[in-house]
Amino acid sequence: MDTPVFKGRLFPWLLLLPSLMVLAVFLYYPAVQTLRLSATASNLITGNARFVGWENFTDLLRDPSYVQSAALTLLFCALVVSLGLLVSLSLALLASSVRRGARWYRLALIYPYALSPAIAATLWLFLFNPEVGMVNTVLGDLLGIRPRWLDTPGLAFGLVVMAAVWKNVGYNVAFYIAAIQNLPKDVLEAARIDGAWGSRMFWRILFPLLSPMTFFLVFANLTYALFESFALVDILTKGGPVMGSGGATRFLMFRLYTDGIENYKTGFGAAQAVLMFLGVALITLAQFRFAGRRVQYGA
Amino acid sequence: MNRPTLNRPTLNRLTLALALSCYASSALAEPLTVEFWHIFGDAKRKGFIDQKAAEFNAKNPDIKVVPVVKGNYSENLQAAILASRQGQPPALVQVFDVGTQLAADSGVFQPVGNVEKTDYGDYLKPVLDYYTLQGKINSLPFNSSSPVLYANRDLIKKAGLNDGALPATYGALLRSCAKIKAALPDAKCITFGASSWFVEQWMAEQGTTLVNNGNGRAARATESNLDSPAAKNIFSFIKKLNDGGFYSFTGKLDDGAGSAAIFTAQKSVFLISSTADLGNQLDAAKQGSYRLGVGLLPIQDGSARNGVVIGGASLWIAKGIPDNVADAARTFALFMTNTANMKEWHKLTGYYPVRKSSVSELRKEGWLDSAAPQTVAFRQLLNTKASPATAGALFGGLLPARQIIQEGLQKVLQGQDVDSVTRDTKAQVDKVISDYNKSLGK
Repeated sequence: MDTPVFKGRLFPWLLLLPSLMVLAVFLYYPAVQTLRLSATASNLITGNARFVGWENFTDLLRDPSYVQSAALTLLFCALVVSLGLLVSLSLALLASSVRRGARWYRLALIYPYALSPAIAATLWLFLFNPEVGMVNTVLGDLLGIRPRWLDTPGLAFGLVVMAAVWKNVGYNVAFYIAAIQNLPKDVLEAARIDGAWGSRMFWRILFPLLSPMTFFLVFANLTYALFESFALVDILTKGGPVMGSGGATRFLMFRLYTDGIENYKTGFGAAQAVLMFLGVALITLAQFRFAGRRVQYGA
Repeated sequence: MNRPTLNRPTLNRLTLALALSCYASSALAEPLTVEFWHIFGDAKRKGFIDQKAAEFNAKNPDIKVVPVVKGNYSENLQAAILASRQGQPPALVQVFDVGTQLAADSGVFQPVGNVEKTDYGDYLKPVLDYYTLQGKINSLPFNSSSPVLYANRDLIKKAGLNDGALPATYGALLRSCAKIKAALPDAKCITFGASSWFVEQWMAEQGTTLVNNGNGRAARATESNLDSPAAKNIFSFIKKLNDGGFYSFTGKLDDGAGSAAIFTAQKSVFLISSTADLGNQLDAAKQGSYRLGVGLLPIQDGSARNGVVIGGASLWIAKGIPDNVADAARTFALFMTNTANMKEWHKLTGYYPVRKSSVSELRKEGWLDSAAPQTVAFRQLLNTKASPATAGALFGGLLPARQIIQEGLQKVLQGQDVDSVTRDTKAQVDKVISDYNKSLGK
């Protein structure tokens, strides 16, 4: 039988109160307000707010450009998470097997994460300026090609994916290196004695042992791709180039910003925030349900 | 024991300071605080504003102007409106031209002409026209600019062209471009950001309003003129530039900085950019050791040169503040834009001096010699004909409309035909206009 840590019912709530107050002010209250706003056609500047019920939501879901944004966002997230984790895990494994100068490798790998997103994006913009950027100068001299990075839809999309993966590699590598250092030595040794090497060692031993970290990083990278890659898009492509019924990199977060903040359509923006929240909730639930079972937490 | 003590001279000085400060605060009533929210975070322009505020405060001990940088134009307007709704409005706010209708509809500002009778005759008419709503001067012009053609004269010469007169029409420019393409394999003819601002200017030059009802000034606009012959001329010009292989840009929408980088790297002979860019361009030309030319914005062949829309930002006074604070805000705004200060502002940044007296003083100083690059910019401004087209478009959805127009430009650059692009662009902008009008309940 569990024995209560605290006597009385009030005391634990009292201890929780400061956190709850902070959450209420900065999270719950704005969330409720967002929900309320999403049912209005409101303009921040004119201060008008008219109740429109579901109209914002039906408008959004019927708008082919919004559906396109959602599909592109899904593809973007899938690529950023999978490529990001693949690259980071490979780099972390390599960096962990280095004997001399390991600290420098780690520092170099984590460095991009320390840059502010705005500075990172500006760097990329300079590098990939199709006319005077370093990348095209080199490509032009070596191969005679000068790709239009910023107005070819496929290339612009790929460029933002690459930038987003690169920007978050440092974060992932830091976590993976920590996890690799904490792997149980006896298990690894036993595997070696039993003759497990190479890919077998990786898939049968390392990957399962690292699965709790991967599970956490999938979620962290998903929220990163959805919300934090905004600055990269804003500075690199501004949501362009034009493709189909919208822009090739007009992801949901960027759209929300343009509609809700730049164009002051607060209610319309709030409805998009609610839809994004539902999307994230759904994906998270699915992740815990299906992938969560396969995570090995060990003994 | 080593107890820290104050020695006697220090103690005396402290007492004196305390006494003086008590005296000062009792002798002078609390000065009126005028918060001025603006967007210039860069050292040059922020420095100018801070310095002018300090000068003003020294001359007017009963007023204390506090300049505050509040992010970009959009954020500045948003912050000012939210602050007003919470009963804490900043007295003076810098609002961008495209936000004019929004700021007016927000109801948190008062027309600057309300506060007291002032003679606005010294302000240049085309500039003042932009900020005149329903016959009332609504805000004070501050930083104003228009686009001009910058040219690398050394490259022009290298291409074997006459580097005396710069092309002033689409046709002349296209002919120059054809020669440049043949002569200079390493450089493109022209670069400019795919920006809606240029489309708006080119509409005005042809004497066509961007939206109906006198550019939204006689009555609220209900539709755009983006499928008019004037608009088609503009989009066709872009298409010809692109199809001929004359046009260079980074590919990002509205990337003026990217185009400037292409021009200063001498990968393009011409650049269309703001007069406010003049200072930077002169510096870059000196560094890259090439001769810089400045010409009029090229326009449609056969069209009269109606002039440009003077874009930029103006100074607004909040509603719901005590009259003496509003007065103080207006006095400061007039001081910051007085004859001498506007001259200094112009020399520092390239923004137009918006007063006739500043222009005539600059002329006397020889600043406007026919050889000086800024002369062209002035001629373009002074020769602008007053009309609804050059007064600039006024409607609440101008911000999203700009995005749509820019996407239209990109569609043409991607090879779509002009007629279908202008038709789509008009339809989308018209929807933005009607949505905005609906949101007002009108």
